[in-house]
Amino acid sequence: MAARDDQAALASLARAPAPVRSRLWDGLTRRLDQHAPTVFIMPAVLVVLAMSIFPLLVSLYLSLSRFRFVKGGFELKFIGLLNYRKLLLGSEQFHFLGTFGELSAAGWAVLGIAAFGLIALLVRYARGEGYTPAGLLWRAGASAGVFLLVLLIVLTNSGNGHPGSLVVTLFYVGIGVLAQYCIGLGLALLCAQNLPGRKFFRVVFFLPMMITPVGIAYTFRMLSDTTKGPFTPIWQYFGWTETSWLVDPWGARLAVMIGDAWQWIPFMFVVLLVAIESQPQDQREAALVDGASRWQVFRYVTWPAILPVTVTVVLIRMIEAFKIIDLPNVLTNGGPGIASESMTLHAYVAWRALDLGGSTAVAYLLLFVVVFVCLSMLALTRPAESEARP
Amino acid sequence: MSGPARRGGLGWLVRPRSPLDPSPLNMAVSYAILGFWAFVVLFPLYWVFITSFKQPIDVADGPFYLLWVDFQPSMHAWKYIFVDLGHDTFRPYLNTVIVSLTSSAIALILGSMAGYGLARMQYRPRLGSIALFVVSIGLAVAAVVGLGVGWPIALAAALALFVLLVQTIGRRFRRSLGNDDIAFWMISQRILPPVAVVIPVYVLFQQIGLRDSLAALVITYVAVNLPIVVWLMRDFFQSIPIELEESAMIDGASRFTIFRSIVLPISRPSLASAFLLMLILTWNEYLLALMLSTANTQTLPLLIAAQNATRGPQWWYMSVLILIMIVPVVAMAVALERYIRRGMLIGAVKG
Amino acid sequence: MKAGIGQAGAVSALALLLAGGIALWSGTAAAQLKHEGVEATVMTFTGPQIAEPLQRRAPDFKELTGATINVVTVPFSDLYSKLLTDFATGTNSIDGMVFAPQWMGDYIEPGYLEDLTERVNADDAIQWDDVAPFFRDFSATYNGRIYTIPLDGDFQMVYYRSDLLDEAGLAPPKTWEDYIEIARTFHGQDLNGDDKADYGSCIAKKRNAQSYWMVISVAGGFLQSQGTGQGAFFNTEDMGPLFNNEAFGKALDIYAETTQYGPPDEINLDVGDTRGLFTSGRCALSVDWGDIGTLAIDPATSKVQDKVGAVILPGSSQVLDRETGQLVDCDAERCPHAVDGINHAPFAAFGGWSGAVNANSSDEVKAAVYDFFSYMSQPEQANEDVTIGITGFNPYRVSQFENLDLWLKAGMSEAAAKDYLGAIADSLNNPNMVLDLRIPQNQRYEQIVLDTAIHRMLAGEIDRDQAMADIETGWNEITEELGAEEQLEAYKATLGIRAD
Repeated sequence: MAARDDQAALASLARAPAPVRSRLWDGLTRRLDQHAPTVFIMPAVLVVLAMSIFPLLVSLYLSLSRFRFVKGGFELKFIGLLNYRKLLLGSEQFHFLGTFGELSAAGWAVLGIAAFGLIALLVRYARGEGYTPAGLLWRAGASAGVFLLVLLIVLTNSGNGHPGSLVVTLFYVGIGVLAQYCIGLGLALLCAQNLPGRKFFRVVFFLPMMITPVGIAYTFRMLSDTTKGPFTPIWQYFGWTETSWLVDPWGARLAVMIGDAWQWIPFMFVVLLVAIESQPQDQREAALVDGASRWQVFRYVTWPAILPVTVTVVLIRMIEAFKIIDLPNVLTNGGPGIASESMTLHAYVAWRALDLGGSTAVAYLLLFVVVFVCLSMLALTRPAESEARP
Repeated sequence: MSGPARRGGLGWLVRPRSPLDPSPLNMAVSYAILGFWAFVVLFPLYWVFITSFKQPIDVADGPFYLLWVDFQPSMHAWKYIFVDLGHDTFRPYLNTVIVSLTSSAIALILGSMAGYGLARMQYRPRLGSIALFVVSIGLAVAAVVGLGVGWPIALAAALALFVLLVQTIGRRFRRSLGNDDIAFWMISQRILPPVAVVIPVYVLFQQIGLRDSLAALVITYVAVNLPIVVWLMRDFFQSIPIELEESAMIDGASRFTIFRSIVLPISRPSLASAFLLMLILTWNEYLLALMLSTANTQTLPLLIAAQNATRGPQWWYMSVLILIMIVPVVAMAVALERYIRRGMLIGAVKG
Repeated sequence: MKAGIGQAGAVSALALLLAGGIALWSGTAAAQLKHEGVEATVMTFTGPQIAEPLQRRAPDFKELTGATINVVTVPFSDLYSKLLTDFATGTNSIDGMVFAPQWMGDYIEPGYLEDLTERVNADDAIQWDDVAPFFRDFSATYNGRIYTIPLDGDFQMVYYRSDLLDEAGLAPPKTWEDYIEIARTFHGQDLNGDDKADYGSCIAKKRNAQSYWMVISVAGGFLQSQGTGQGAFFNTEDMGPLFNNEAFGKALDIYAETTQYGPPDEINLDVGDTRGLFTSGRCALSVDWGDIGTLAIDPATSKVQDKVGAVILPGSSQVLDRETGQLVDCDAERCPHAVDGINHAPFAAFGGWSGAVNANSSDEVKAAVYDFFSYMSQPEQANEDVTIGITGFNPYRVSQFENLDLWLKAGMSEAAAKDYLGAIADSLNNPNMVLDLRIPQNQRYEQIVLDTAIHRMLAGEIDRDQAMADIETGWNEITEELGAEEQLEAYKATLGIRAD
């Protein structure tokens, strides 16, 4: 057994008489070992720190100022929160948040359900163990934030409201990442079975992730063309050649989500597959031999084991999905109108026109939203995670 | 022990040969789904492949599917990319290879070490120290940007200030953070879209004097992608049973030895996947490469984006570029797949 | 012995003389190379358009002057930010650029562009008077001083299928109402013999691409009638936008109506797509720069060789009265440049790729870069380059469209060449050409506010009046932010209304 070999080797290593080394070397390695924690983590921390502090501080300052060219150079004038105000309350509100429509009955229903659910969670926390006033306050704040987002989504989608880049990005992330995870998990489970020829599938499924996002965007633009693309006969059969789905708001968003899913399902697939196949097989085999159905095996054996990896991979993918830009940029340039414009595209277009203040303001609002969503997600899944770990 | 005895009829469809294998019905459905998804994956690639052989008029005239049957293949796009552009294709190609391999290797080393640290060791960075550090650096940045102080001086002054303050005020604050906070801080570096930091990073490298070099790209890519490697490796290390390492520690081995001799060999599949992922991320990155590169240091994604000139997308050239971009990455993936698979066996047998 | 030494002496003397002569000769030859040893970097976008002729002629230039010109390219959409980042951060690794004069407003104020007036005045070879008046007096100048060397003439025209119009007995459109009529007539018919219904008009309307220029092409004839110096974007009194009134409203209505006679996904089509559609014969009409002319004669891409006509942008018989904001009829006073009572305002969208010099490079480099652009612009080189489609250079010199031979040699039929060049000449010589917006941060005005509002209108999110109101509010806000006084000064400077 490999593990026992490793152990034996190590034991012999520790017991064997050390060759003659200088005392300096010995002292050095011992000192190094004492500080092992620092040595392990410091290089990475330093590199990330060095490259992040300066740009972060400068771009934060940019978001609070106005950039323009003047005689002899350029000027950065501090204007406080004006850029943010323009996005949230001012002339760019339609662009960032969206235009609000009148609430329909369905809208009220959704709001009611959301409010009810959030309050129920709060109450359960207040009644449970581990309750602290600080914890309740923090959770209440988070719930309020979630409710505001739900309200925004509902308002911009009812009546003749139109979603802005924030809401569109939330769609891309919420629907997109969920679909990618489910499909990726399904494929990983299928490939983890003892099927002959699965190596072929493993290599093939990995391909989409390797193509540069700009290349994928152009590929999908070719594919989605209703008159010249490869699916034209299908459109013709349904009589859809006179329309183009990229001209419809939801059609455009769907096209972006399909392209994004196609590219990133391999990521989910590979990481989950590695996780599933790294699990000790004996538990699973014993359960199967005892007659458990595959579904039961999944639910009670596989799922808890891959839960930590699930959280990681969904978190990573979510953070990347919030930054989606290449697909909307190439497929639809954010159109029709602003229906498929993500926040990063919003920032990018502003940046290209040298509206540096506006662009970095959008980027920082994106930062706040994503940090909020990530923290909420981590908080929700952490208790479940610590149960599952052996 | 096999299940109940086989009855007649269609029972054999759902009962497998052994409980460990999927039943024939299961297998059929699995193959159907996997086959369908393989088609979904391969068809766009096939389309790109044949588009690289098409004349502009073949593209404009509507979908043509089969080489030689629907249209005559032409090598004009390939010739243009390799012969006409020749050197202009080769140099970005070389740059991309160098930058990706180097930054992935560095990030893998640093990231797996940090991931191991976060998984096995306890960190308690004090909140006070962190705040003081940020403040010191902030003052340095303000001095450089606002007052025009030279950056080496400002940096040295800031570090001196930080050390001084930490020894004095820093001791007052007891509150400390933990491993999870460090991990979250790392991954939060990925949240801000590159478009917000592109110009400051450009200025940063200009001040240091590295602007025109591949080193700038390598350093930037390492810093940008390190968080992902750290997270992936941390997760994997956490899932390795700790008994192996504990027994080695009892025997007196140093942490480095444990890391190198025990943990790393077991982690090959994860290391390989992380390396591949990083390779892909750096191979395909556009915005930072655009800003930090000049004529000699351009990378391939820039070439692809450049095909969308004022005449509209040159689909045929773009297809050629996409194909030559994929090939090395695929080759690398196939090569690394061996490691991933071999690693499986060790993992399967342990425990 | 003596004779031997004498002979040797004679031979060595001869050798010395010869060597000295060669050295002297090559020395003088070397001294004749004006920019010996100078190296300069010129940046433009990745072509082959525009970049190809630069790269092709750089070695010739080196032979002539000894200067090495390195042509560096970046993707088109990022050229603007890349150049400005290089200049604003003081890096100055770029010595010259071939860019859009429209961007001049952002480069001149901070002092990044070299004033070329003296050099041009002292340069006979460039034949400055041959350059068409519009490019010479407006496009290349700012506040009366010359900053760019034109290499390309960019303006929009209407292209039509001459075979279809001839068959139906229709004349090329003179007004936008004519344009709509023709589009309506041909929409839905099979125009290229492939049994598929085709389109009356194909105009690129994709967002964040080129469509905001198309709108201005339509609106120009309604807004500007007194010549280029009148301007078409703001009124020169108080910087009030001219895009929220009855005239622009009518232009928007026309623009929206053309969508009905176009491809189903027209609002997602870029110029590359519409050109492809037109050259494969699927459109009766299109609005575009000069590229369709040269694309149409290329057998690899075109099915409409010899079936393409070009005409100056349609105009209007009614123009905007800036006092009242109403549309009023044209008369001799209001529309001095009208032809047959119709006011045309051809639009030099984007400005026409031109060369400019970085003011912060060393003097010898600046001289070399200027000479390179002068070399590219001289008729011996330019007149040949504009006939070759791949160069992306369109005619901008008077001598270029007086000589048909070059065009016939390139593959155009005589009729097509006369037609194409005639349309270009009409536009170039028209004193009422519209100068594209060149004030600081013009991209925010055009690409962000105007483009977004127009596209939302086309997508049905807002109606025409709301779009115009959004444009006015958005533009006023930007003007406020950047300083109304400064913007007005800059606007007047680009129109040649001297600050003195």
